[in-house]
Amino acid sequence: MLDSKLGIFGLLSDAGPVVLFVLFVLLSFSIVSWAIIAFKFGYVRKSLNESKAFLDYFFEIYNVDKAFAESENYRKGSLPRVFRSGYIEYRALGDKADIRQLKVRIARAVKREANAESKRLSSLVPFLATVGNTAPFIGLFGTVWGIMTSFHNIGATQSASLAAVAPGISEALVATAAGLAAAIPAVMAYNYFTHQISIIERDLEEFSSDFVAAFINEP
Amino acid sequence: MKNSQKPKEHAERKFSYWLFAAAAAHVLVLFLAMYLQILDLGRHAQPKIVSVSLISLPGSAGSHQFSEKPGGAEAVSAASPSTPSPSKKTVAVEKAASDVAPVEPKKPKKAVKVKKTVPEVKPVTPKKVSVEPVVSKTKPKVIEKQPDISQALERLKQTVDKKTATSQPTSASSLNDALAQLQKKVKIEGDQAGTGRGGVRGSSSGGRGGSGNGYGSGGTSAPYKAEIASIIMHNWEFSKLLLKNSYGMEVYVRINVLPNGTINQIIFDKKAPSEYLNNSVKKALEKSSPLPVLPKEEGTKDVWIGFVFTPEGIEK
Repeated sequence: MLDSKLGIFGLLSDAGPVVLFVLFVLLSFSIVSWAIIAFKFGYVRKSLNESKAFLDYFFEIYNVDKAFAESENYRKGSLPRVFRSGYIEYRALGDKADIRQLKVRIARAVKREANAESKRLSSLVPFLATVGNTAPFIGLFGTVWGIMTSFHNIGATQSASLAAVAPGISEALVATAAGLAAAIPAVMAYNYFTHQISIIERDLEEFSSDFVAAFINEP
Repeated sequence: MKNSQKPKEHAERKFSYWLFAAAAAHVLVLFLAMYLQILDLGRHAQPKIVSVSLISLPGSAGSHQFSEKPGGAEAVSAASPSTPSPSKKTVAVEKAASDVAPVEPKKPKKAVKVKKTVPEVKPVTPKKVSVEPVVSKTKPKVIEKQPDISQALERLKQTVDKKTATSQPTSASSLNDALAQLQKKVKIEGDQAGTGRGGVRGSSSGGRGGSGNGYGSGGTSAPYKAEIASIIMHNWEFSKLLLKNSYGMEVYVRINVLPNGTINQIIFDKKAPSEYLNNSVKKALEKSSPLPVLPKEEGTKDVWIGFVFTPEGIEK
């Protein structure tokens, strides 16, 4: 089936083991990249939407008990999660007379959860950066190797005609094309996610102090 | 602790799902690309790459005795296994025989080519060194170009068949007589049809086969020519795309083949303006040497065989 008539696939059937290995690596990169993109896209978008909805509610009522009850509806949002951890810490403290200690402990709990949330958000994203940076080079390696082999064959056949040169180079260039095909979506997704995550992290940083203040000012 | 593990497991499960989905999507995309390529190939015809016309130069081949070589007047083209088309490489090997010159009445300057595919060219067996093959092999040429001559030849064939059936020639002399008669009749028929002698020159590759003159010691048989033409074709590495203007590009080449098949000499009678084409032809001939050993019927002397290489196919 994969004969020379089938364009790229026909070329691949004649490719050497190194080029095939490079293509296999790039295909794996691409598959994992797209899986991360799909997974993270839903995760980050939900987190942003739920955080926004929870903040609106929180500033509307400014009551920690009601806000906690409402936060149960936003289990995937980053800000509701951080708020919940602060509330749990607040309720765990028996003596609420020592305001300073209360503030320190709630602030610590909120910060810990904010850090955990930040890690959760940015997990797997660096892989996209890795793919975006390395895939073109891996593809280029496959191309260079393919061209080396091609020139070697040209030397062996003692023919430098177009018919002898072109298929090898064409076959080798498939690796670069595959590298770019894996890298381009990865880089685009990485830029998008880092931007969205930075927005969420900024929100976490800004509203953590508001949450702590809300617990302390709770009557 | 248990509560913190739960969302983690859920996230991992979800990521595994997406991983599987991505793999499936990649497989789908690959199959789609392959399907589209097949579709695209089906829509577009194969691009024309190179067309080669290999014909012998008139008079270049040696003394091919008409009375002894039944294939002297035949014209055979060796081409790719399918029928000749502009999109495929085509080789036409022609053999000139001065004895049958009047057969070409209306096209005195043009060569008559009868195309056959290489597998169709059957070697002449010793038993077929008779009158019959001469007539039967010239018949397709006549049918294609000159219907009236073909009828005449058909009649001749019938008469010769009758004669051979009755007398059963066993010796070479009787065979020669029959062939001479046939030759005469063909000449007469050709003259009646108003033919000129020059019309045949280019039509066959035997050259001055009948007279015994020529470069080599004997004319080459069509199967042998077809065979070497296909070998040269196979070794010819040439792309028309590299020629800026392929119009009028043709290379006339003669090769001197020794009995053991070695190409002794290559003479360019006419070179193309493109050195690329000239070099490719030269390399193809050099690469093809040694050719298959000459057939026994060719004798022990060397032969001259001519070819015309053109990137445009058989146009002449």
